[in-house]
Amino acid sequence: MLANFLIGLREGLEAALIVSILVAYLVKSERRSDLRYIWTGVGIAVGISLVFGAVLTYGPKGLTFEAQELIGGTLSIVAVAFVTWMILWMATAAKGLSRTLRGSLDEATRPWSLVVVALLAVGREGLETALFIWAATQAAARDTGATLQPLLGALLGIVVAIVLGYLMYRGALRINLSVFFTWTGAFLILVAAGVLAYGIHDLQEARFLPGLHTIAFDVSHVISLDSVVGSLLKGIFNFSPVTTVLEAIAWVSYVVVVGTLFVLRNRAAHRPAATPVPQGAAS
Amino acid sequence: MIRSLVAPVLAAGLLLTTACTDNTAASGDARTMSVKASDTACEVSSVEAPSGTLTFKVTNEGSKINEFYLLGEDGLRIVAEVENIGPGLTRDLVLSAPAGTYFTACKPGMVGEGIRGDFTVTDSGEDVGPKGEDAELVAEADKQYASYVRDQVDQLVTKTEQFATLVKERKDDEARAMYADARVHWERVETVAESFGDLDPQMDAREADLEAGDEFTGWHRLEKDLWPARAEGYTAMTDAERATVADKLVADTATLYDRTRDMTFTASDIANGAKGLLDEVATGKVTGEEEYWSRTDLWDFQANVDGAKVAWEGLRPLLQRKDSALDGQIEKAFASLQALLDKHRDGEGFVTYDKLSEDDIKQLADAVNTLSEPLSKMAGAILS
Ligand SMILES: [Cu+2]
Repeated sequence: MLANFLIGLREGLEAALIVSILVAYLVKSERRSDLRYIWTGVGIAVGISLVFGAVLTYGPKGLTFEAQELIGGTLSIVAVAFVTWMILWMATAAKGLSRTLRGSLDEATRPWSLVVVALLAVGREGLETALFIWAATQAAARDTGATLQPLLGALLGIVVAIVLGYLMYRGALRINLSVFFTWTGAFLILVAAGVLAYGIHDLQEARFLPGLHTIAFDVSHVISLDSVVGSLLKGIFNFSPVTTVLEAIAWVSYVVVVGTLFVLRNRAAHRPAATPVPQGAAS
Repeated sequence: MIRSLVAPVLAAGLLLTTACTDNTAASGDARTMSVKASDTACEVSSVEAPSGTLTFKVTNEGSKINEFYLLGEDGLRIVAEVENIGPGLTRDLVLSAPAGTYFTACKPGMVGEGIRGDFTVTDSGEDVGPKGEDAELVAEADKQYASYVRDQVDQLVTKTEQFATLVKERKDDEARAMYADARVHWERVETVAESFGDLDPQMDAREADLEAGDEFTGWHRLEKDLWPARAEGYTAMTDAERATVADKLVADTATLYDRTRDMTFTASDIANGAKGLLDEVATGKVTGEEEYWSRTDLWDFQANVDGAKVAWEGLRPLLQRKDSALDGQIEKAFASLQALLDKHRDGEGFVTYDKLSEDDIKQLADAVNTLSEPLSKMAGAILS
């Protein structure tokens, strides 16, 4: 039960956190009407994942390992691009916000972008999660030795991930906008760097990229992935106890480059504070 | 920005439709293994499977989260893996595996080297599919080779009919003149013809290879009747006997024709076929056993080499990409074997086998081996 719970938690956590940050951002910037784009993206991702997962589990066709890995790896890297865009967009939007010029820049593309970010955040590991859920469902439905435990554990894990996402959202609503941007931005950079490293690992496993056995560090004896701490680290930051050199390079490069961009944009956003600043946006 | 990123998403989505693979068929299928994974053990139901699309059904009977891996011969390369096998779950790992030595590994708790076992994939002859540009080259090779096979069998049908008529009409001189020429088309695609286990013994069995009780029919039965010189105490066939054997040969050839119309060939079929033809040369033609009565072995020799050469030529674009040194070796060996064969030409055909000196035979055998050796590596090089 605990093991399946941890898998559900791990697979659901990152998506729940990214979505909750997006929702918090829209709510805080009084764009509740745009929330529907988020839910559309989430809905599409959950729907597609469950349907494909069911087709692959119960249908006459399965997916080869190579194909699954390529899909997972590619989606991860695409997701990183979108989350990066989201981070920088929110930093820039903060600037617009502080001048009460909100949302005039790329109004046309924004709803679509919101759909896609939400879709990728949830859909990235959606297929793997769906395959896991359906396997748990099969275990609950099989003729002999049926057991509901794995399914309950898995669903409970996902529910807890969503609850944690919700708590993050509630917390985010309480803090002021400037702090919100700084912290969520920094947080998302670490999340996205983890996703990037994970995507690279996927592609290394499928041998689309080399260097799977060139290890930067191995702390698997200290932090095991089937522990609660390991699951949380993996779920939130995609922390991998055994990290390849290529993953590590990608992670560090991403944090440095995007982190720098983020700090520069954030600073620019808060510099022209000569005009009266709306409530909550003061740094 | 969106547009530039939609493409990879779509591409990944497309994979779902193109990279699908057949889900497990009935259990008891040699390509479906069940794996019992616990916290301390990893039992795979079979340690061997024929190459092709394999399915491992991994059930976690332990309490830790488990993972299952198929690792390459070096024990490092991940051929395939399935993660997130929670306790009580069964998850499938589907992959396409070429022949080779592997390791299976369960990783309870997702740490360490895992609990390993040996696993062997045997060559089933089924091609596990090169990808991308290679796949196009394979498709091209298939197209070429399939049309060569059709063309040769086509000509075989015509010439076999003519030959059968001559035999039945007892125009023995004409029949003898036609014999080797007709058989050339059989010998060029001999490995394909032999893949039909029911036809080959009826059409091409040699008397020396027959088991007690087997009926002696086909090409070599008629050959013996046309060239009885080496047969001691031989009783010639009656008209009726000749007609029966000749008609049967024509009918079998018609069946062969039907069966080869929509045949397709994988890269390994073609490569192994080329090697097979050379083996035929080495075991039957160089030794003068194939055409024991007519002594026309060198016609068959040349025809087997022709067939192998066409097979290799079809695969060349692929082979040159994978291993151009090997390709060069094969090219040279074909050339020197041909040069040697050409020494024994006589008019349209060749000298009979009894005209060859022991030294000639030795030289030919050596040249065949020199070609056989790199040719046998072709399948492996292409599929790597
Ligand atoms: Cu023969």
